[in-house]
Amino acid sequence: MSRPRRDPRGERATKTITAAGRIRLDVALRAARAAASGRPRRDPWREWAASLVDETHRKRYDRSQRQMSREEAARFSTVRDTIEATAISPGQPALRVIEKPAFLVFAVVEAAGGRLSRFDRQVLGAARLLADAGDGGGAVVAVIAAGATAGDAARGDDHETGLGAAGADRVLVLEGGASPSGRSAAMLSAVEGLSPRHVVFAEDGDGADLARRLSVCLGEALFPAVEHLTARQAVRALRHAKAEIGLAPPRLMTIGEDRAKPYEAIPCEARRLDLGPFAGAGGTAARGDDSAILSVEIIPGDPARLSLSETDFVVSAGNGVSDFTAFRALAAKLRATPGASRVVCDAGLMPRAAQVGASGTVLSADCYLALGISGAPQHLQGIVGCEHVIAVNTDLHAAMIERAGLAIVADAQRVMPALLKLLGEAGA
Amino acid sequence: MKTVVLLSDARHAISGRATLSGLEARAISLAAALDPAPRGLHAGGGAEGVSAGLGHGLQGLDVLDLPEGADPVPALAAHLQAALGKNDAPGIVLAGRRGEGGLETGLVPYLLADALGLPILADAVALRQGEAAGTLVVDQAMQKGARRRVTIRLPAVVTVHPLAPPPRPFAYAKMRRGEIRFLPTAEAIGDTAGGGNGSGSGEERPHRARPKLMRTGGTAAGAHNLHVGPEPEEAARLILDYLEANGIRRYGDTRG
Amino acid sequence: MTAAAFLPWLTVAMVLVAAVQIGRRVILWRGGGPAAVDWRAGLTALPRRYLVDVHHVVDRDRSASRMHVPTAGGLVLACGLLVLGLVPAIAASRLYFALVALAFLTMAAGVFLEARRRYPRALPRLSLGRWQRLPVYLGVFALGGFATALLAALGNPLPALSFLTFFAAAAAGLALAGTAATGPMRHALAGAAHLVAHPRPARFEGGRSTDLAPLDLDAAKLGAETPADFGWNRLLGFDACVQCGRCEAACPAFAAGQPLSPKHLVADLAAAAGGGHARPYAGMPYPNQRPTGGAAGLHAAVISPEGLVHPDTLWSCTTCRACVEECPMMIEHVDAIVDLRRFQTLELGAVPSKAEEPLENLRGCDEPNGRRLSERTDFAAGLSLPRIAETGEADVVLWLGQAAFDLRGQRTLKALIRTLHAAGVDFAVLGEEERDCGDLARRLGDEATFQRLAAANIEALSRHRFRRILTADPHALHVIRNEYPALGGSYDVVHHTAFLAELVAAGRLAPAALAGRAVTYHDPCYLGRYNGEVEAPRALLDALGLERREMARSGKRSMCCGGGGGAPSADIPGDTRIPDIRMDQAKTTGARIVAVACPQCTAMLEGVTGERPEVRDVAELVWEALEAGGAAATARAKELEPA
Repeated sequence: MSRPRRDPRGERATKTITAAGRIRLDVALRAARAAASGRPRRDPWREWAASLVDETHRKRYDRSQRQMSREEAARFSTVRDTIEATAISPGQPALRVIEKPAFLVFAVVEAAGGRLSRFDRQVLGAARLLADAGDGGGAVVAVIAAGATAGDAARGDDHETGLGAAGADRVLVLEGGASPSGRSAAMLSAVEGLSPRHVVFAEDGDGADLARRLSVCLGEALFPAVEHLTARQAVRALRHAKAEIGLAPPRLMTIGEDRAKPYEAIPCEARRLDLGPFAGAGGTAARGDDSAILSVEIIPGDPARLSLSETDFVVSAGNGVSDFTAFRALAAKLRATPGASRVVCDAGLMPRAAQVGASGTVLSADCYLALGISGAPQHLQGIVGCEHVIAVNTDLHAAMIERAGLAIVADAQRVMPALLKLLGEAGA
Repeated sequence: MKTVVLLSDARHAISGRATLSGLEARAISLAAALDPAPRGLHAGGGAEGVSAGLGHGLQGLDVLDLPEGADPVPALAAHLQAALGKNDAPGIVLAGRRGEGGLETGLVPYLLADALGLPILADAVALRQGEAAGTLVVDQAMQKGARRRVTIRLPAVVTVHPLAPPPRPFAYAKMRRGEIRFLPTAEAIGDTAGGGNGSGSGEERPHRARPKLMRTGGTAAGAHNLHVGPEPEEAARLILDYLEANGIRRYGDTRG
Repeated sequence: MTAAAFLPWLTVAMVLVAAVQIGRRVILWRGGGPAAVDWRAGLTALPRRYLVDVHHVVDRDRSASRMHVPTAGGLVLACGLLVLGLVPAIAASRLYFALVALAFLTMAAGVFLEARRRYPRALPRLSLGRWQRLPVYLGVFALGGFATALLAALGNPLPALSFLTFFAAAAAGLALAGTAATGPMRHALAGAAHLVAHPRPARFEGGRSTDLAPLDLDAAKLGAETPADFGWNRLLGFDACVQCGRCEAACPAFAAGQPLSPKHLVADLAAAAGGGHARPYAGMPYPNQRPTGGAAGLHAAVISPEGLVHPDTLWSCTTCRACVEECPMMIEHVDAIVDLRRFQTLELGAVPSKAEEPLENLRGCDEPNGRRLSERTDFAAGLSLPRIAETGEADVVLWLGQAAFDLRGQRTLKALIRTLHAAGVDFAVLGEEERDCGDLARRLGDEATFQRLAAANIEALSRHRFRRILTADPHALHVIRNEYPALGGSYDVVHHTAFLAELVAAGRLAPAALAGRAVTYHDPCYLGRYNGEVEAPRALLDALGLERREMARSGKRSMCCGGGGGAPSADIPGDTRIPDIRMDQAKTTGARIVAVACPQCTAMLEGVTGERPEVRDVAELVWEALEAGGAAATARAKELEPA
């Protein structure tokens, strides 16, 4: 838990007034204290405004769990003058171009499966923050290992637009092969060739590995697992998270998950960068590692056997599903991990490990396909982190339909065979 | 094949007592599957906490006596260098991907590999002996459940990922019977673990917990997309189109 | 020479055969570990232990005592008389043979009653096989002996017939004596020897001994792996089993279809000590029995895939002691189970996967759910809850226990705390200094953690001045009252029901009547059976004016809720859940409220779904009555408080 623990006793004690000999509580003290805590305060007014339907000033419940969009925020400012919202200037350019960057900031992203993950976008966001620091003028270079996109030429475009929206001005594809030492050699040559002001990695997976290899190769300090990043300083915890250290953003750093905001403003151009003369200059870095590595083989994850917390795509069955053979076949065809609502698990139709929700698994998947699930509050808590939700349910007013990005009011039992048929045709 | 597991100075999250890091406990269970007598190696003040490793499957524990705040890398490197020169040299050095206590940079295994001239592989979730003698097959965790299977010639340094199988359960009697050797170290070299890769000029201060970003859904889902009572075939088409448009999965040519 | 004249010699032959057989068994018992036994005290106490303590248990099943008294009495009397017959003068007396015939007749009557329990259909809890044939042997022996002696008493009118009856008696009698090592008749001598050398002599003559013995953590081997690791008198105890199945009928795990039957387990342990691969067991199998290899031997592991007993059997036990309470042979099943668990946990680390987490938390932060000790008093925000570190001393230390971390348990504790204030009790809590009492760790076999926690708690308690410890958790009560003394901490511990009953009796609490409601009280095992406290909670409920209805199983013979012994952590699957069974029993009383006095029972019974009586702790009912009594009562109580 990152939050400081609440101390109900302490809170009560601070609110207690014993002056008159009788113990009573001063409820008003509460507001004053909350303001002093320094934590970002929830703004009930803003939330209230967000819950209004259009301009009719009628309240509705927002079950979409989506953050307020910029447009909405702008509209709220008309509802309440006091709300500060980002104004959208009419003459805004569609693309942000930095032609002559004053300096470069590398953001090393994994882009597994050709898509940017949440974490990747956060790394790009952190890099963007550093590139715009001070006088600004820096350019963010998204550094991707060739393996991530190789052989998927058709997806190149998607990829770069995604990177642009996430804040990358340039894209650099590293040709280093699949071995970690090869990647680190290519990275070293890029760093030596382009001399970025900062290199930001994710504190996870290959990014974390690469960061440390680079640090050792360069003999340069690494500032790992940054918890708090501003233009002025980077802070990280150490000594069992009892102490922290803050300094001006260093050259090499890895950033912790969910510690930096992804970039959400005007898309950048994500121009492909050619390493040109620098390519292959990093030969010095290739150590004896490569001779020790005898073979490398990538084994794709089998979604059917993945744990729910690890998978990226969950297809889940609720009360509206009765044919579980078809459901399992569908999950296999969709290459999704099967999940279920509590009712289904209680009935023993699916194993307990498949339960999604507050009392089951809280997902971090990208996509959630809910078949015949109405969406109890505890269930929705389990899919808070899912970016894409598809709901198939017979009830138009089900909470899940409201939460979904694609909502289909239909009988899941009838949609499943149709999906299987379509997938069968596609697979043939 | 002989395996050494590096143990860091972990603290229990609730009580703050010295304990064995959960990740290193997993490393021990991976080691125990390869080596009937894996040894633990810890550089620090004492064996409190890390001795629990004996209960989880270590046969012995070497504790390098090191003052608080000293850089553990030279001591560990010297110890391992000496061990590698011997007959019964360790083939695998296992570590968690980030040790606890100290500066927590996660650099120690990399610096050790560098100092010993060994290859290093990160984020192992499974280890098994390779077909050829003196080789090891390492499954590395990647995103979305994928695994990278690397065959490596030993000796090597391998760090362990949290998705590795859960540790062997603790057995008090095994801990009691395990042998602990306290070894002196040559000389302690100043602070900042990570051989100059410390945290530079920053001042240490008490930690302040900062909230993480909320894991709410992104805005990428776009406009609310509602279809009431479509034919099943149409619904299926809508779903697959949505999945492909958002890059979740690609199912070949569904358009016939 | 008449046939009857051979009867004494038959007895001698039977005694010799039996002696040889028992000698073989004695050699086996000597393979067990050492045990301190006060032989003189044991032997002196034997008649009383047998005739009072054992009979008291046997007599709960009238059909058993009615059959056993004449059978055993007749057999012992007949054999005793026949030994006298070795004196020629006596053997010549027809009156003597009339007495012998009478003894045999008594025995035959007993055997007839026993046969009625088994034929045409045996009671389900009884074992079949050799146990089913036992009345046949006994009957033939008794009738043969009776006929022979009767003919002798009548002056031997039919010598041929008397030889026939004599040979029948001799064949059956020698067959009985021949099974004295491995067959049913083993129980006679093993049972008597067990009473003499019982591992818990304190439990006789109205005493109680329910605490687990501390384990020497420096011993070469921790816990029991093989039969030889049990003390010799424990092996003797397993041999005493008569397979009457009362333990099985009382066992909650058996009832719920979990793979445990105390009878089967004890039979297995006896068979394991005997060695061999055979399993001559003819009782009901373990429910949902898990397959095992069945290898046995004095030095073979009992709990292992190749052994006799599957680990799931071991971990199904709730340590409720119902089997021990019911056992007419005074066998200590729970001690055996805990010793076996200790080996599994301490030597192998082979605890059920779900039980690893609480044990790991207990090792790491002294709390099975991984909560911070300083959070224990958080639930009481707003209540006045003095800490003893601040007050310095208190009359009563309130031991909060696990309930303080559980929302349901907190309701009980709040009611108790308010009641204590209303009665003006001078009490305080340990606050952060209170660690888990160690009950869970100990029952799951983690003796090392238990002893560490106990030592830390004793150290914390020794820092403060107080008179008594009050707790609402019978598990903590039992551990602190009965098990801490062996580790150096003796305290006066009182359960909240007893304490509140005292307050009511002293007039310090004036609860209003909660008339018009029917309540049934569920006895917690660790309060009722372990500590014999069954009166105080009932007295309290009566004082509240509630209509009290008893379940069929109540008091010391109550049925477990399924929450003890770490069973919820081990979570061995069965056909149904123990609390569901118990709640059904509560429902049949028609009461709308189940009164409980233990946070574990509360949690387990609250977990029962569907239409069911409300689960209320006695403390909650008392507080409700006090509130109904109003402020006047509170004020009056205050006045009684010394200034």
